[in-house]
Amino acid sequence: MLAFSHVSKTYGETVGAGLTALHDVSFQVPSGRRVAIVGRSGSGKSTLLHLAAGIDLPTRGKVEVLGKDLSSFSDRDRTLLRRNEIGLVFQFFHLLPHLPVRENVALPALVAGGKPRDFEPRVLELLDRVSLADRAGDPVSNLSGGEMQRVAICRALLRRPRLILADEPTGNLDDENSWLVLELMLELVTREKATLLYVTHSRELAGLADETWRIHSGVLDAA
Amino acid sequence: MPFLAGALVVLSLLGSTLDWKPARPDYAWSFPRDHWARTGFRTEWWYFTGHLQTAGENPRRFGYQFTFFRVGLQPTSPALDSAWKARDVIMGHAAVTDLTSKRHRFTEILYRAMPLLGEFGDGSGPLVAWSRPPAGSTVRWSLHWNGRGFDLAASDENQDFSFRLSTRGTKGPIFQGPNGYSIKGGEDGAASQYYSFTRMATRGRVSIGGEEHAVEGVSWMDKEFGSNQLGARQIGWDWFSLQLDDGRDLMLYLLRDRHDQVDFANGTLISREGQARYLESGDWSVRATGTWTSPHNGARYPAGWQVRVPAEDLELVVTPEVADAENVSRILPGLAYWEGPVRVETAAGDRLGQGYVELTGYAERSRPAL
Amino acid sequence: MRRYLLHTLKTRLRAGRSLYLLTVLGVALGVASVLSVQIINLSAVAAFRGALRAVGSEADLTVRGLNRTLPESLFPEVLGTRGVRGAWPVYRLDVAVKGSDSLLLEVMGIDLVSPASRESLELLGREKASEGLTQPGWMAVTPELARAQGWSVGDSIEVSCGPREARLVVGALVDFARVTTLAGAKLAVMDISQVQGLLGRPGELHEIHVEAAAEDRANLKALLEQRLGSSVEVLTPTQREDEAAGLLSAFRLNLTALSLISLFVGSFVVYTSSQALLVRRRREFGVLRAVGATRAQLLGLIAFEAALVGGLGVILGTGLGYWAARANVDAVSATLTQVYLLNEITSLQVPAWVYLAGAAAGMGAALAGTLLPALDLCLSPPRSLLSSRLLQEKVGSSAISLALAGTGILTLAAVWYRFAADWRPAGFVLGVALLVAIPLFTPLLVRAASLLPLSGLGVGYGFRSLAGRWTTTVFTASSLAIAVSMMVGVTLKTSSFRETLEVWLRTSVQADIYVKTESWRGRGDETALSPELVSQLSRTEDVVAFDRYRRLTVQSGDERIFLAGVETGLPGGEARFPLVGGDPDAVYRQFRDEGAALVGETLARRRGLEPGGLLPLVTPAGKAQVPIAGIYYDYQPGTGLAVVGLETMEKLFGPGPVQSMAFYLRPGADTDKTIDRLRAAHAGESLLFRSNRKLRQEVMEIFDQTFAVTRLLQGTSLLIAVAGIILTLLVLAREESAELALYRSLGARRSQLFRIFVGKGLGMGVAGLVLGLAGGVILAGIVVFVINRAYFGWTIQVHWPWGTVLAQSATILAAAVLASLYPALAASRTPATQLSREDL
Repeated sequence: MLAFSHVSKTYGETVGAGLTALHDVSFQVPSGRRVAIVGRSGSGKSTLLHLAAGIDLPTRGKVEVLGKDLSSFSDRDRTLLRRNEIGLVFQFFHLLPHLPVRENVALPALVAGGKPRDFEPRVLELLDRVSLADRAGDPVSNLSGGEMQRVAICRALLRRPRLILADEPTGNLDDENSWLVLELMLELVTREKATLLYVTHSRELAGLADETWRIHSGVLDAA
Repeated sequence: MPFLAGALVVLSLLGSTLDWKPARPDYAWSFPRDHWARTGFRTEWWYFTGHLQTAGENPRRFGYQFTFFRVGLQPTSPALDSAWKARDVIMGHAAVTDLTSKRHRFTEILYRAMPLLGEFGDGSGPLVAWSRPPAGSTVRWSLHWNGRGFDLAASDENQDFSFRLSTRGTKGPIFQGPNGYSIKGGEDGAASQYYSFTRMATRGRVSIGGEEHAVEGVSWMDKEFGSNQLGARQIGWDWFSLQLDDGRDLMLYLLRDRHDQVDFANGTLISREGQARYLESGDWSVRATGTWTSPHNGARYPAGWQVRVPAEDLELVVTPEVADAENVSRILPGLAYWEGPVRVETAAGDRLGQGYVELTGYAERSRPAL
Repeated sequence: MRRYLLHTLKTRLRAGRSLYLLTVLGVALGVASVLSVQIINLSAVAAFRGALRAVGSEADLTVRGLNRTLPESLFPEVLGTRGVRGAWPVYRLDVAVKGSDSLLLEVMGIDLVSPASRESLELLGREKASEGLTQPGWMAVTPELARAQGWSVGDSIEVSCGPREARLVVGALVDFARVTTLAGAKLAVMDISQVQGLLGRPGELHEIHVEAAAEDRANLKALLEQRLGSSVEVLTPTQREDEAAGLLSAFRLNLTALSLISLFVGSFVVYTSSQALLVRRRREFGVLRAVGATRAQLLGLIAFEAALVGGLGVILGTGLGYWAARANVDAVSATLTQVYLLNEITSLQVPAWVYLAGAAAGMGAALAGTLLPALDLCLSPPRSLLSSRLLQEKVGSSAISLALAGTGILTLAAVWYRFAADWRPAGFVLGVALLVAIPLFTPLLVRAASLLPLSGLGVGYGFRSLAGRWTTTVFTASSLAIAVSMMVGVTLKTSSFRETLEVWLRTSVQADIYVKTESWRGRGDETALSPELVSQLSRTEDVVAFDRYRRLTVQSGDERIFLAGVETGLPGGEARFPLVGGDPDAVYRQFRDEGAALVGETLARRRGLEPGGLLPLVTPAGKAQVPIAGIYYDYQPGTGLAVVGLETMEKLFGPGPVQSMAFYLRPGADTDKTIDRLRAAHAGESLLFRSNRKLRQEVMEIFDQTFAVTRLLQGTSLLIAVAGIILTLLVLAREESAELALYRSLGARRSQLFRIFVGKGLGMGVAGLVLGLAGGVILAGIVVFVINRAYFGWTIQVHWPWGTVLAQSATILAAAVLASLYPALAASRTPATQLSREDL
């Protein structure tokens, strides 16, 4: 499903002089697996997710999604891949304040050019699963942090992507909500038959995954 | 020969190509016709100076000057349907010097000759010339031939003086130069037709500072016309008209060049009976004995002279009655000259007579660059 | 703090390049429009003053005949008045130069023997002055004119004034501008005798300039008035200038109002950009506050930047304004000479205070635009500056209350006007109220956009998303709305006016051929046709009827008006004067048979004249009252116009020549052929023959020229507003970079982001357009029914120029789309990685 081989990422002008965020990272996430990566802030975990999502390209090495080398893709193709196959969940939720809950969830469909009405049942179904169906018409600013992230998870799953990438999905939540949200996400991913890769700084939360890897100063330590 | 810087300034307005009559030694004089304007000539003036006094025990004494100039713009009137069409310019200068208060008043006019502003008579009547007074005044300036002399009037209500005088010639007319042909320099044709009434009994009224005085006295009149008087290198002149108590009259002029050297000089002595003797330059001498600096423009004028005519046994001390008798023009900026009454005495200070002196070309800008 | 400021200035300026640039541009365009209009206004008045001073020196008083000229016999009277220090006669003529298309020389006849201005005599040289007195046709012209016409000293110039023709000679080139910078370039100075004799009339003068001996001008004025009688007036220089300024006041006021609108629009742009700049630096300010910077220090920092940007804008705007004035001075000048019969502008007059005022306006706009956002920033507690900014900007309730406030302002203004309708500038107050109210409706409109159904991520989505950042977008939409209001309002007014004028011309211009002399465009009443010519012309083949037109400048009440004499017996001649009201038969009967006058609407409104009333006139015989038969539509600005029959005019003012004629041809006659025949028969006689069509065309051309400057100002405002769109979208592209990154991470393609931004631009365009159209219609109403009536006294029939307004709307939307292209491109390049660094 997702494979890194010898991937390095250096920010800055030249390879030698820049800041190396990832150093010779190689791994494979098979289809249907739920993998957690643990690391402190600045360890390179966000970079890893960006590379996996095709948002960024590696300085060296190869990133393969669904068996395709992303570096061989044009920006347009990578965008389409992201649109159709990948769902993203962010630490800061990134909900659009000017849209209600329902429309935030439907956003990927809008992006893909679908009619919002066609997705209405799917949106409600997902919201129902996260117990927010009755809040569908609310502005997102009325929601609590946990609720917002649940909405964001619904948004990520809307178009049934095969790969879900989550960047500190609980980073902005209190402990209680963190567990709740993560469990919900894992459950949904399983139900949707998707593959999940999430990064977190919490060993406890990482423990919920099928597999936990550690990242430290850009070096992945597949425990 | 009282011509004047102002005339020169206006003279230089003229295009030289126009067909003006030159002064001629054989000019055929005709009086009284020649008292009126001679329009074929380029310039012409009637020039009066004199000493006046009131009757009574403590008479008030005045000197006066009255001049009309005619400056021809073109020999004939242009064919234009406009009252403003201009053949001549009329210029007038008038001054009264109060010898009691030592105050000198001067005024002037400059108009084109036209029915509304001033004209020259054509000889069909007594009018020789008239003009509007200076702006702001009402009483016309005028000059009439009265058969034996001239009636003249000038006023300036803003300067608060006016006079109205009637003159009667007791001598003359006297030709200045043989047949009234007055040579003004070595250059070809630099000359004018020139005659004088060197002694004219005068009576009339002078108003000054709001008071009107009945006056009597003696005037000197010059009339001169021509088309090309001054030589190019001459910048000014000293001119004397002296009336001696013994009945003789003396006219002298010295034309000065740029270096203040006498370029040309001439004179006439008129006997009590009216006989003119034309003086050669070697016959007489004039020596300035003092100077006066104008507070108006800083010009330095000679003031006080010793005049000698040895052949006539004349040795005269000429002294200005008033130091500041400078005429400063407002109409023609830069034009300034000294024109004032003088007394004539012996070296010992005994009175010999009276007269007028004119000094031109001393002020820096009295000949503006053209 | 100062060190911090200087240290970071360069970085900041570089980082916010485009924002600063557009702010500078906003200020610059505002300053430029205000400045250019003021320069033109001042130059127009100065041109008039200049002609007075060029040769007249600074006359203390001017004596002028009430019936345009005065007998020259009054000159000695003036000269002899106690307290007069000098007096100078002036004879003025406008003469047409033959062989040149439309060159009119402003000939001034003065007394070259004693010119009033010594400086001009010295410039001329005394020798030259004597040539001027003796050489036939001698004139002194400006070197500028000589250069333009290719004249040199000694050249003969054929000219005409009315039926009279003369050969003038370029005698001297004199830069009268050195005496007074205000002198017109087309001034030609001649001796008064030559002007009177060659081209004018003997016995008359136009003016006598008087220098007072004492400072007590008022006394002298009274004394002169008493001495000279009632046929003349004695004016102080202020009065003379006021006269010109008065004629132009409405014209100038209009331009000034339009330029102020540009400035207003400009300050909106400044607001938008400074807000954007400050919002981006919220954190920076938070940190500065946290480390101990005081509010005052922050305010100082912001004020310094505003001043810097304002200063640059002022510098740029000053150059631009001067250039714009230069570029437009000809059009305005043509208006002045053709419509207002004043001197043309030949040099720009820019006293220092105009620059200062322009600078003050620019700096004021820059500082005012910065004030609100700066205060907001400085008053916020440091903690709130450091934390993420408010996610949601509420559009809801505040939009409604703002709209209510707008409605309130409009209602109040309308109510106020009911009581203040008599106050002349009341219309401008209404206009200002409207322009203040328009922006208040923008939030509601923008909010309405968020009600649009959601479909796809494209133009529509962008359109709808405007509401999301309404505090940024409403200002731009508002400034566009104001610019559009102005444009639509003026378009409505102009085209209504144009249509009205066309209809009026079709009605009142009925004859087939019009004849006048070449110098007719000048100010003189001397441009007459000789009686022989009139009788010769009236016998032209195919002519079945003819009209004669005699115009005089006469005193009526406190002002000078044009009094025209026309044929009363012309069959169907009543069509020449479409009436404002009343029974046409009765009115024309009175006009034709009883010697009554028809008064132009402009004059009637200004003076409150009504049918049945009396028109006071000063005639050579003294004061007269002419009954008023009716009021007719008249569209001449400036000097008022009244019409009487030729017989009545002769009775009042004595016989005199006519200035133009109109021929009615037998049906079926060929107008063009007749004109050709006439031209051939009168070749070389300085006569102009024009067909009905040509005459109407000329009037319309003058009309269009008059509004040329207006169009420039409209364009400027629109340009500022479009700059505002670019600015706002660039701001949004920055502010929304996280949002854009989210779209990208959700798989949105660049083209989609591009379309969103085009949608936003279009959205602002539509919002501005919708409000602008509404505002424009109201504004047009105010201009046509309130301002025009108050200042010009014209009745304008409202006409809807659908086509033009549609085209303008399309242009505005196209401009909005165009303006959004660059920001859209910038937005589409937002990388998805932006997401991790910034929050939404």
